[in-house]
Amino acid sequence: MSLPAGEARPALSNTYRWSMPANWWIRKRHYFFYMLREFTALPLAVWLLWFLVEIKRAGDGPAAYAPHGSALFVAFSVVCLAFALYHSITFLSLAGVIIHVKFLGRPVPSRLIVLSQFGLWAAASILIGFALIWFGR
Amino acid sequence: MAKRITIQATRFDPEKDDKPRLQSYDIPFSDDSMVVLDALNYIKAHVDGTLSYRWSCRMGICGSCGMMINGTPKLTCSAFLRDYWPQPVVVQPLNNFPIVRDLVIDMEDFMDKLKSVKPWIVRKQEIPLGAGEHVQTTSQIDDFKQFSQCINCMLCYAACPVYGLNNEFLGPAAIALARRYNLDSRDQGSKDRLPVIAESEGVWECSFVGECSVVCPKGVDPAKAIQQTKLDTTMRFVLPYGNRE
Amino acid sequence: MTEASRLAHRPALAHLFWWFMFAQGGVIAAVLIPVHILVQGILGPLGWVNVVDRHYDTWINLLGNPIVKLYLLVLIAVPFFHFAHRVRYLLVDLGVPAARSTPAQVVFYGAAVLVTLITIWVLLTTAPISLG
Repeated sequence: MSLPAGEARPALSNTYRWSMPANWWIRKRHYFFYMLREFTALPLAVWLLWFLVEIKRAGDGPAAYAPHGSALFVAFSVVCLAFALYHSITFLSLAGVIIHVKFLGRPVPSRLIVLSQFGLWAAASILIGFALIWFGR
Repeated sequence: MAKRITIQATRFDPEKDDKPRLQSYDIPFSDDSMVVLDALNYIKAHVDGTLSYRWSCRMGICGSCGMMINGTPKLTCSAFLRDYWPQPVVVQPLNNFPIVRDLVIDMEDFMDKLKSVKPWIVRKQEIPLGAGEHVQTTSQIDDFKQFSQCINCMLCYAACPVYGLNNEFLGPAAIALARRYNLDSRDQGSKDRLPVIAESEGVWECSFVGECSVVCPKGVDPAKAIQQTKLDTTMRFVLPYGNRE
Repeated sequence: MTEASRLAHRPALAHLFWWFMFAQGGVIAAVLIPVHILVQGILGPLGWVNVVDRHYDTWINLLGNPIVKLYLLVLIAVPFFHFAHRVRYLLVDLGVPAARSTPAQVVFYGAAVLVTLITIWVLLTTAPISLG
C-alpha cells in the first residue's frame, strides 16, 4: 500500500526509542580495538610535543641542554612506540581499502597498495633512522 | 531424548508496555538445519501467536529478517541454531532503530536516507530508443558490482556505532548504493548525489569502525565504499578538472 | 532524517577539508613518527646508538638547515591535524555529542593551527637559518 506522493505516513504511536549504551565499545572486541586505534592520537601527540620542547631547549645554549635520558622517559617512549606502531599498522593497512587505482585498465589489487604503503614506511624509517644515527657519530 | 533449545525474544507491546523485556521460549530443536527464523516461526505457530517479526524469503536475499542474535546483527534465516545450542539464543530487534513492536523496528529513517541518494540510473540525456541498449563491458560491471549486492537488510546500520550515536548520519548502505550508481558507466548523476553524500551528516561522520562490513551478509563492504567516496569527493574539490567519476 | 535536513543538503566543505588534513596527518604520523620514537626515545637515551640530538654542536647545526626545519615542521605540525580530528571524534564516540558542534571544531582544529604556529616560531628562533 503506497501513499500519494508528498504525504507523510502517519506517526506510529509509542515506538520505543533506542539509546546507545555508554559502554558500547567495551561490549565487542572489534569496537574496543577501534577505540584503541583512535586513542593512539594522544600518546603520539604528547611525544611530539616533547620533541618540540627539546628543539626549543636546544636554542637555550649548550650549557643548559640536557635531553631526557631517564628510565622513566625510555619507558614512556616504549609505550608511545607501541601506540605508534598500532597506529601505523592500522592506518597503512586501511589505506589499501581507500585507495583504488587502475593500471592498464585493471584495478590494482589492494594487497599491492598496502604493500606499497608499508614499503614507503620501511624506506622512510631506514632513511631517517640512518640520518639520525649518522649525524650523531 | 529429543534436543530442545531456549529462545529469548524481545517482547514489546506499544499499547501496554513501557519498555521491552525478554521472554523465554523452550522449543524442540528437531533438525540440525534449523535456523533462528525456523525457531521464531515455530514459536508463532505453536507456542505464542502474538510474537511479531519480519521475514519473507527465508533464503538470505530479501533482507527482511535482520535481528540482533546474541548481540550481533544477523539475518535470522541464515543463523543456524546448531551454532548456539545448547546455550540460549537471545533474539532482539535491530540496534539503533526505534522499536515498533516485539522484534519489528521502524525503518522509515533508512528508507528516507536510501531515497535521498537517488539509488537509480540518473541520465542527463536519455539515449534514443533506436540506439538500443546501454552497452557495458564486464570490466565496467566489475567497477560497481560489489556495491550492487546490497539487499537493504540494515544490519550495517545496526552495527554502526556512529549511526547509533547520531541518527542523522547517512549510513553505510545508503552511501554504498550511492557509490554503486556513481560508478555505473550508464549513470550521469554523480553531481546530483553530491549534496547528500558530501554534507556534514554524509560520509564525513564515518570514522571507519568497519563493523558494517563485518556484518554485511552479502559482502558489499560498505566501509570500503564510504572511504573511497571520501577520497573521491575530496579529489573532486582538490582537482577541479580531474578524477570526476 | 528531518524534513529540514532533507531540504538543506549541501556539500560540507569544511568537513571535507578537515578530513583531508586528517588523512595527510595520518600518513605523516604513520610513516615518520615510529622511527623517531625508536631512535630518539629509546635507543639514544639507552646509549645503544649515537643519536644526533645528543650531540649539541651537530644538532644545533642541523637545526639551522632550512630543509631540516621544513622536515621538522611537517613531522610535528601536520600530524596534529590528524590528532585533533581523531580526539574530537573519540569524544563523540564516548558520548559527548557537543564535540560535533562548530565551537568544538574551532577548539580542536584551532589547537592544531596553534601547534603549527608555535612549531614555526620554535623552528625559526632556535637556530638561525644557515646552509652550513
